[in-house]
Amino acid sequence: MEYRTTGFNGYAVQYSPFVNSSIAVGAAANFGLVGNGRLYFFDLTAQGIVAQKWYNTQDAIYDIAYSEQNANQLIAGCGDGTVKLFDTKVPDYPIMEWKEHNREVYAVAWNLVSKDTFVSSSWDGTIKLYSPERPQALLTLPTHSCTYSTHFSPHSPSIISSVTSDSHLRVFDLRTPASASNHLVHLIPIHGHAPQQGPSYNPLRPRHPPSEALTHDWNKYRDTTVATAGVDTIIRTFDIRHHKHGATAHLEGHKYAVRRIAWSPHAPDMLLSASYDMTCRVWSDRMATPNITPGSHAPSQGAELGRMDVHTEFVTGVDWCLFGGQGWCASTAWDERLLVWDARSVMNQR
Amino acid sequence: MSAAQNRLTQVSGHLAGSKSTLAPTEGDTSSGRSKLLQKHADDIVVTACLRTPFTKGGKGGFKDTQAADLLIGAFKALLERSRIDPALVEDIAVGSVLPPGGGATEFRAAALAAGFPVSAAVRSLNRQCSSGLQACVDVANQIKAGMIEVGIGAGVESMSLQYGPGAVTEFSELLESHPESANCKVPMGVLSEKMAKDRNIPRDVQDAFAANSYQKALQAQEAGLFDEEIAPLRVQWEDPKTSETKEITVSKDDGVRPGITKESLGKIKPAFAKDGSIHAGNASQISDGAAAVLLMKRSTAERLGQTIIGKYVAASVAGVAPLLMGIGPWAAIPKVFEQVGISKDDVDIFEINEAFASQCVWCANELGIDQNKINPKGGAIAFGHPLGCTGARQVSTLLYELRRRGERVGVTSMCVGTGMGMAAVWVAE
Repeated sequence: MEYRTTGFNGYAVQYSPFVNSSIAVGAAANFGLVGNGRLYFFDLTAQGIVAQKWYNTQDAIYDIAYSEQNANQLIAGCGDGTVKLFDTKVPDYPIMEWKEHNREVYAVAWNLVSKDTFVSSSWDGTIKLYSPERPQALLTLPTHSCTYSTHFSPHSPSIISSVTSDSHLRVFDLRTPASASNHLVHLIPIHGHAPQQGPSYNPLRPRHPPSEALTHDWNKYRDTTVATAGVDTIIRTFDIRHHKHGATAHLEGHKYAVRRIAWSPHAPDMLLSASYDMTCRVWSDRMATPNITPGSHAPSQGAELGRMDVHTEFVTGVDWCLFGGQGWCASTAWDERLLVWDARSVMNQR
Repeated sequence: MSAAQNRLTQVSGHLAGSKSTLAPTEGDTSSGRSKLLQKHADDIVVTACLRTPFTKGGKGGFKDTQAADLLIGAFKALLERSRIDPALVEDIAVGSVLPPGGGATEFRAAALAAGFPVSAAVRSLNRQCSSGLQACVDVANQIKAGMIEVGIGAGVESMSLQYGPGAVTEFSELLESHPESANCKVPMGVLSEKMAKDRNIPRDVQDAFAANSYQKALQAQEAGLFDEEIAPLRVQWEDPKTSETKEITVSKDDGVRPGITKESLGKIKPAFAKDGSIHAGNASQISDGAAAVLLMKRSTAERLGQTIIGKYVAASVAGVAPLLMGIGPWAAIPKVFEQVGISKDDVDIFEINEAFASQCVWCANELGIDQNKINPKGGAIAFGHPLGCTGARQVSTLLYELRRRGERVGVTSMCVGTGMGMAAVWVAE
């Protein structure tokens, strides 16, 4: 199924956590470089995808997140640094707006456990925590680096993570006391730790230069597993308990930067990715566990299960449907299209 | 930049970083290479670099010239070329391997004779074949740390006058009884022969690499590609036939010879073992020469109106087993890449010293470096390896060639006797 978001290039897509036939898309005119943004609410019907409502914004919309509290509400992160809360019951304008960031907001995420807070991250190098009831952000977490993606752990109401252009995965725990560390509990170099000097030093170990990380996601079943991806095209999984030895698994195959990844809500090993190479790919990390044998820290290789290459421009958003048959997903791209498809069909082709 | 331009730069950075065919540009800030190309006021830059010609040990144009006199020649030319006020130079480091006492006294005297005032400090240092590079790196680090503002890294060697068994003192009982430590005095030829066997580097591969070095150097010499880096020198020279001493001007490397092919090298008898593979034709030549590099911060260079030729980015040193000293670049190059955040694909030219064809070709293959990027004007096999000078020589060879080709990023590297490797990253401007 397909819907044309004419005049607007997709940036983010999400299924409603409440209604199995609702999808929202955040989009921007002129590839998000300059001009308006638009937020679409779609209904999946027997007749195809029907746009229920849309909202225009002053600047591009780069990311969206459905409220976990209220089925009608959704937040959007915008190019002008604002975060807007929309309610489908209220036409035309957002019901709340937070102007806290100095630069483009590239990610928003709702707290999946306590459901009463959400976060945004921005190119200004900060993550901000909000409550929909408060007019100002509750907390600012600095990353000092362009922060492309932020999430709550799906297993804890107080753990926030981010990936940034400095090639690091950060994990913050709000339960830690307020201190100079700003709740930072893990700082994981995605490209790998610096080499250990000494007799086991092998200059030829596979090495990767630091590269911008654009997206990450928490596994929905394995509560210490996080996947990251970005400019160097490799999707990596980490066990945040054992990150000293580097990534747990590498999923390699994308030709260009990976723009978004999402773990399956149904299978503990399955992951969906969207890339600048115009494909969406389905992967399995084969339930990889960290290799902690001394001297051999090579990450295991994941498997590509299938690929969807219908998009004709950079794919920027993917999401799994939480309901029904366990493979439905949606993707949006710069080709002005929202596609709804079944991951199982592309997996069977291979 | 406008907001839209900023956003475009950001997105193009995402594409450029992913090994795409889109070349990274100066504007995008994501890839390691583009970070390298950015200019900052506190960069350590090279505003002049040059070398004397290299001549054959024992018979070339510099066979009767003291190392200190070669150094004077290089210093004078450097002052002349850069037109820098000699009083601004605060420290000079000279790498040299063979002189007794490290050459400390002669080199200080040489600096004074070359026209530096007494306020310019001088030291000599010795990290074997990487001494010249170590000198440049030390001076760059001194500038970085704020110890000095302007300095010179140099290297010199007169193998004609100082090469010989006297260079190493007798090993003590303690040294002899430690297995790795005793290996430190195994002669270069013998251990390279061992390494060639050990690492299975066949003779024809070595000879092909060596012949290629000769051919590249000859072509470069004929095309005048060394002219920029070489500062000709007038010296006294004794004609061996007539025993008559006359003054000559040396302006060319005399080790470069025409007509050398893989086949012609194939006929030479191995030098270190009957069944060996290493001979005079696929090992570096014994030579005399000097080289110097003028270093300062970019802000200083701009204030003084100096022409910036390139910049020093970073350097690494790595230890390897003494018997496998030839693999030094293999250990050092990845290390410096890691520091800088680049990969071999981001580098346009590698100047890897050709101590022996065997070790150079092994390192290159093992690191997967494109043959066309290595020593494009030939190397020590073709024009010589005056030990302490080589590291400083590579800087001129590299930067002028990068500039000529319109390329940017280069690496200099060499293996180091007793089992080490050094590597440095440079950017031409």
